[in-house]
Amino acid sequence: MSLLWLRVAVVLYGIAALAVLPAALYDRPRWRHIAVPAALAGVFFHFVSIVETLAAAHRALPVDTHETLSWLGLLLVVAFLLLAARAHTVSFGIFLLPVAALLAIVPAFHPGHETLAYPQLRTGWLLLHIALLLAAYAALFISLIASLLYLIQERRLKQKLSAPASRLPPLETLDQIALKALLFGLPCMTAGLLIGSVVALETMGPAFFADPKVLLSVAMWIIYMLMIFIRRHRGLRGRRAVYWSGFVFLGVLAVWAANSLSAVHRFKTP
Amino acid sequence: MSSHSNPNLLLLGVNHTTAPVEVRERLAIPSDRLADATRTLAHQPGVREALILSTCNRVELLTVHESNAGHAAVSPSGSAAPGTEMLRFLQDYLDVRVTDIQPHVYEFRERDAIRHLFRVASSLDSMVIGEPQILGQVKQSWSVAREVGAIKSTEATGSTGAFSSVLDPLLQRAFSVAKRVRTETQIGSTTVSIASVASELARKIFGSLAGKTVLIVGAGKMSDLTARHLIQQGATTLLVSNRTEAGAEAIADSLRTPAITTGVIPFEQLHEQSFRADIIITGTGAAGHVFLPEQARTLLQRRRNRPVFFIDIAVPRDVDPAVNSVEGCFVYNIDDLQQVAAQNQSARSREAETAESIVSREVARYTERLAQAPATEVIKQLLQDAETTRLAELNRLAAHQALTPEQFAAIDRLTKSLTAKLLHPQIAALRDSRSTTGSED
Repeated sequence: MSLLWLRVAVVLYGIAALAVLPAALYDRPRWRHIAVPAALAGVFFHFVSIVETLAAAHRALPVDTHETLSWLGLLLVVAFLLLAARAHTVSFGIFLLPVAALLAIVPAFHPGHETLAYPQLRTGWLLLHIALLLAAYAALFISLIASLLYLIQERRLKQKLSAPASRLPPLETLDQIALKALLFGLPCMTAGLLIGSVVALETMGPAFFADPKVLLSVAMWIIYMLMIFIRRHRGLRGRRAVYWSGFVFLGVLAVWAANSLSAVHRFKTP
Repeated sequence: MSSHSNPNLLLLGVNHTTAPVEVRERLAIPSDRLADATRTLAHQPGVREALILSTCNRVELLTVHESNAGHAAVSPSGSAAPGTEMLRFLQDYLDVRVTDIQPHVYEFRERDAIRHLFRVASSLDSMVIGEPQILGQVKQSWSVAREVGAIKSTEATGSTGAFSSVLDPLLQRAFSVAKRVRTETQIGSTTVSIASVASELARKIFGSLAGKTVLIVGAGKMSDLTARHLIQQGATTLLVSNRTEAGAEAIADSLRTPAITTGVIPFEQLHEQSFRADIIITGTGAAGHVFLPEQARTLLQRRRNRPVFFIDIAVPRDVDPAVNSVEGCFVYNIDDLQQVAAQNQSARSREAETAESIVSREVARYTERLAQAPATEVIKQLLQDAETTRLAELNRLAAHQALTPEQFAAIDRLTKSLTAKLLHPQIAALRDSRSTTGSED
């Protein structure tokens, strides 16, 4: 049954992703009334699906990459809904909704059947570690999108173009969203990494810290902090902000990819 | 309707397309005289209800006449010279000669008057199509007319049994048509004046203009107007820089309000101080550029890359076009602003076509309902008379015969059914006849 709910969620995300295009790009604000409810309904079914999956597997944690990415997809749609409510913009949906649909589509149509390799890891702390890091990744992704939208809006204003893209938020709003997303993501990433380190130290010992994934995660954290520092003190905006956000985002992808190189950061049964 | 004559709707006026400003200004009725003018118009012979709409672009008299009086007033000789009394009112009240204004006057009757009113309220007849002020002005006129008793409110006429108001429901319908046009089309979603386009662009850069600083460099009517617009939108600090400090002080004084902070920047310190401004309006009349890319870069550095918006309304231009290439600087000159305004105007015209079809449908619906209204009154009266007779007969029977409650209920049902069946053909005929009359109208 959980698979059915996840598939329904994917379809709803797809509808929302299509409906958001005329609302955000073609000055047709009424489409917002389809995009937002569809995304909201998608979040509901997605959440039900995750709860049912975990309850059926008698575990509280995602065990494989697809499952974890599906959680990230859920967070991205939640972020889209929050931005629609607080900043009155659906423009972020142009990127967030298709990505969320893609992240959920693999577990929806090709589910894994893995179980936890270490039953002793069923702890709330580890769940918090995963949730915080996913929130940090989502925040970083939103910051990247906000910077991209800033670039589009900036170009549009400089080239003196009217519609399309006239429904994009003002530059200052986009800049604030990008900065606030980073400021939200930093404590999430810091706490997530700290919790993961403490749990790893207790269960696997100091060898865990020599793992490539762990080292990359620390490097990413340092770059993340550096980016916030530069943004705040030099007023980083526009093209350079996109480069920085893109660079950090590549770092995140590298950390994900490092799972295959990691000898210790594996939780599913071989 | 207790008055059984059919009222006549007449709309007579001038607007920006039919009369030059010299004529319009002679006919304009200031807001402090509007109540008196409306009252006077309502007291003209044969006028049952009246409303005056007076704006800078139009003066219109909307009146409802008694059927016979109205014809006599508007067409005294049976020739095509209607509205004579209304013109005479304008002549007497405003001291203008009828011959001076008559060539500029248009008049609409009945369905055409309804259509015109709906178009005016929906801002389809405005100089700037889609501008929002006209609806407020129509509402203001309606409110004044109600206050002075020139329009009877629908509720009051319903309860007192006086004649039914024609203008009150018509105006209320006009407001809802205008609202429908505004929500179902994008007619009012873009700005079309230079000052409002500049203000709209500033909002696209800064979002809210609350707390923003505007710097005016040089003097000029357009700079002044644009600055006023930006202040209305929430800008809270105004700086002025001019070649003469006295000139700068004068501009600052003319724009000063209790809500804003003003200041003067000596012209020689312009480049050192301009980083304080988020929006810079330039109109100096200098032969060369006042702002160059190097200066813009320095300015941005001092602003820690916060964007700056140059509104260059000077000819020759004050801001080097290359400044627009500096990241964080946005430069719009007078041509750019006019181009955006023209694009917005053409978008409005496209939306106006949709709006016109909404108005047409609404006019058809309203006139149909209007045609049905007298029939509804007659039908209501017929049903009421029949019910009174039925109840009288039923009570007379009950007084002479000892009826059980069941028998009384049965007779009650029977008489109700009989009355309904007997009246049905007459009611249907009445409805048909009114529909036919309405469609012929």
